[in-house]
Amino acid sequence: MSCIGDGERREVQITAYLDDELDLTSAVELESHFEHCPACAGELAAQRALKQAIGAADLRYRPGPDQVRRLRRQLGGGQAPPAWRVGPRLRAIAALLLVAVGSWTLGRRWPARPQVPGAERSDGVAGDAGPDASPLAEQVLASHVRAQLAGHPEDVASSDRHTVKPWFGGHLDYSPPVIDLAAQGFPLRGGRLDYVGGRPVAALVYQAGNHLVSVFVWPADGPGVAPTVRTGASPTGAPAAGGVPPAGAAVASSRRGFQQLRWTQAGMAWWAVSDVAADRLDDLVRALRAELPPAGPR
Amino acid sequence: MPALSQLLLPTAWFAEAPAARQMPRTHDEDAKRRRFEADILPHLDAAFNLARWLTRDDAQAEDVVQTACLRALRFFDGFQGGNPRAWLLTIVRNSFYTWIGQRREQEQETSFDEEVHTAERAAGDPELELLRHADAELLRQAFAALPLAFREVMVLREVEGLSYKEIAAIAGVPIGTVMSRLARARRHLQAYLLAHGVGGRP
Repeated sequence: MSCIGDGERREVQITAYLDDELDLTSAVELESHFEHCPACAGELAAQRALKQAIGAADLRYRPGPDQVRRLRRQLGGGQAPPAWRVGPRLRAIAALLLVAVGSWTLGRRWPARPQVPGAERSDGVAGDAGPDASPLAEQVLASHVRAQLAGHPEDVASSDRHTVKPWFGGHLDYSPPVIDLAAQGFPLRGGRLDYVGGRPVAALVYQAGNHLVSVFVWPADGPGVAPTVRTGASPTGAPAAGGVPPAGAAVASSRRGFQQLRWTQAGMAWWAVSDVAADRLDDLVRALRAELPPAGPR
Repeated sequence: MPALSQLLLPTAWFAEAPAARQMPRTHDEDAKRRRFEADILPHLDAAFNLARWLTRDDAQAEDVVQTACLRALRFFDGFQGGNPRAWLLTIVRNSFYTWIGQRREQEQETSFDEEVHTAERAAGDPELELLRHADAELLRQAFAALPLAFREVMVLREVEGLSYKEIAAIAGVPIGTVMSRLARARRHLQAYLLAHGVGGRP
């Protein structure tokens, strides 16, 4: 028994080893240790047997249907006003009343508003809380996160668009519109180059409070980019496969807590990404879109 | 009439109806709730599972999850990406400890004497077979008998499949502590299974 006095440490190592959480060096050392230590080899076998049984058993507790309903209601509804906790009878009466009033009202409103949730916003932003199915969505998000993690959000740091725009001109085969939004509360921090959809693209970096926003820009009809959004030149929208939004409309999505908005305007595909609150990102995009030539034919 | 309904309609009662999304609400709350629903709602089962294992009681688990969900919604602005499930589980765990502290009724841990039980180790093939074929019911009993600190790391690891790093963050302890707790938890489980699984088991 080579493990006398060392059994505790070995046991912990074996646990981590079976969980694939032991670093490679220690794992290799442990494996060679098993060959001449029956005690540890036995411990490995026992832990492995236990893990096998646990893996085969369903140990998850699931809430019952009633519990799910109660919890979801609370989650979905947020903080109910204190008045709603006064008592079951009042709640029941109030609920009946509200269902009656609500269904009547909504019944009146519903046919006139067949749009997706959130579409009542006047800025043409189509609400969509789910992740964007476009493969570019992941790339764009990764680029934004990577730049932030590296502490290098911009390659050219300047709030002066007359500095940023020529810099892009020297690095790209197109000239992205560069607009400062300081007056609207989103100062331009600069720009950086990124690689998205198989080509170098421009990313404008804006400050939104404590958060940074990356706005990616590339030609909407550029070869090799194949974004799911195209120039909204056709008045019919000419939707193609892949959930192409109507001409000019922005598509919102969220992904692991990051907000994304994409749209086409001024012959460019635009993609804004940030961890800022969704409504702030909406504000920024609305401000930016107001400064750009209108969507549609150039 | 619409104005009246705007005043009266609480979102909670219609949360499950698609119509709720048409409910008048401020833009801010609306966006927040949409994000909350998308990020947090899918992890309700995980939240309940952890709460159920910690409280070892169905109704109490629901209480804890309810408290946790309210907190989660309140603090959701502070959630900046990361793993939403781990984030929610952290809140569930904290809510549980607050809850149990408030009740001033420390759980009577059925922490069995380690000196005695750790003597029972799998030594031969019959014991290994017994461990390997422990059924779900026996395993649930064994898990439930674990001291709280061990139970929570085991559940997070074996049921939720979280990494040591994530577990460390949720439990607020160093990774080394997670490792040693898991090792000791497995020793406890082995001992329990060997003590209670003998006879009548394949």
